Amino acid sequence: MIGMVYRFGFLASAVGNVIYLGVAYYLWKSVYADSAVIRGLTFDQTYLYVALGSTLFIVLKTYIDWSLSNEIREGIVAIYLVRPVDFQLYMLASCVGFFLLSVTTVVVPTVLLVVFVFHVSIPLSAPLALLPLSLVFAFVLTFCFDYGVGLSGFFTESIWGISIVKDSLVLVLSGALIPLQFFPNVIRDTLQWLPFQAVYYTPLSLVTLPDETWQHLVRLAVQTLWVVTLLAATRLLYHRAVKVLRIAGG
Amino acid sequence: MAIRSPAEYLRLYFIIEGQYIKARLQYRADFMISSVGMVFSSLATLGVFAVLFSTISELAGWSFMEMVFIYAFYMVAISPMQILFDQFWFLRFDVQQGTFLKYYFRPLNMMFYYVSERFDLKGLTQLALGIGLLVYSSVQLGLDWTPGRIGILLVTVFSASLVQISLVVTAACSAFWFINSWPVLSLAWKMREFAPYPMTIFSGLMRITFTYILPIGFVAFFPSQLFLRPGSVSGLVWAAPFVGMGLFAVTYFVWTRGVNAYTGTGS
Repeated sequence: MIGMVYRFGFLASAVGNVIYLGVAYYLWKSVYADSAVIRGLTFDQTYLYVALGSTLFIVLKTYIDWSLSNEIREGIVAIYLVRPVDFQLYMLASCVGFFLLSVTTVVVPTVLLVVFVFHVSIPLSAPLALLPLSLVFAFVLTFCFDYGVGLSGFFTESIWGISIVKDSLVLVLSGALIPLQFFPNVIRDTLQWLPFQAVYYTPLSLVTLPDETWQHLVRLAVQTLWVVTLLAATRLLYHRAVKVLRIAGG
Repeated sequence: MAIRSPAEYLRLYFIIEGQYIKARLQYRADFMISSVGMVFSSLATLGVFAVLFSTISELAGWSFMEMVFIYAFYMVAISPMQILFDQFWFLRFDVQQGTFLKYYFRPLNMMFYYVSERFDLKGLTQLALGIGLLVYSSVQLGLDWTPGRIGILLVTVFSASLVQISLVVTAACSAFWFINSWPVLSLAWKMREFAPYPMTIFSGLMRITFTYILPIGFVAFFPSQLFLRPGSVSGLVWAAPFVGMGLFAVTYFVWTRGVNAYTGTGS
């Protein structure tokens, strides 16, 4: 498969993530040096959040932006266009297997590491029941971001810049690196309605905020809304994009 | 390998890159979009620092502005890797596809010939942003820039950039033996993200690793101390100007061994 190059890279990501878990542990330990609770979060809550956040980042990455733009540039995409399949669904399906593989190979070791090496307990609570659904939605949202950027390959060759902008925006605004609670209130109030936080903050808060109840349902509703909106938006973008495609020779 | 003077290499480099830049200028949109990407990814970490410092006043004794200085130093120090040595990202493809063989056939230093293939323009954006932030944070912190300090800055930046170059180039060179060097390379690349953190927050194995084994502490944190806290630096910090040169010597040795071990991929 074309994606094999990235899959070996994904093993390296897993090793890199273990080192990151160590870095984050010391970083947040020194943040919490003087106070037991910051912005309503204890060290354990924050560390669990950050550890799972960076792990989720690896698991959710579809790399479809790179492979799709590559296929557009080389003209391979023409093969898909003549097939009687829905392009968006086809692209989504091509990412699912990798997602399932990484859920088992990255998430499980991380959870074990967090619990047994760093001695942070994971609270078992009712909101956890919503986690599988929320994770699937987070995956679909990430797919939409990556797929949307990949589609921009129909218009420009400069996928690097667009993809980096997307990654940076998602990493900071989604609360993947730092919980949303740490943002100033004004910014936080805006961020909670954007699609970025639906990828990380929504599923992660199900694990780290066991005491909240209706707030989880609100976040899940916002997440669902963005899933529908972005699936529709990328469909529209595809129909626009495919019109400008010219493939040279055969 | 022919012996040429450094001046001659410099002249050659300007000629080659001049042509390269002319070719790249065909793709102005690419440069603009990539530069925007560079700015975003650079500011992302700074954004996280800003959010973090909205709740705490200092991190292990370092203030927000001091962290900005360290981060700015880091951005400047990683720029030479980005601008001058970017070609090493492609070493694995060149080795795999056999296109690397052409580098054996010119009377030039092979590493010189190889890095001259590419001059990454978007890295200039990163460098400019880093210098801007370095000046800004210096003014905010009221740092005293004597000519002597500026001299030390140039030497330490040079050395710190060699640390970054050495780590990435050595990782890239693993392609000579393993062909697919992507896992090693991406891991080495990921390491740089930890460079702007105060090394004093780490203890035990991680501190030893970041100081002596994968010495990313020497990319930004240790050299920055020479300017932020000149009165209270440890002996280790004074090693900063020399670590880079030592590491690069090791890297050059690995490169030479790799080049000699490579046998091509047939036909």
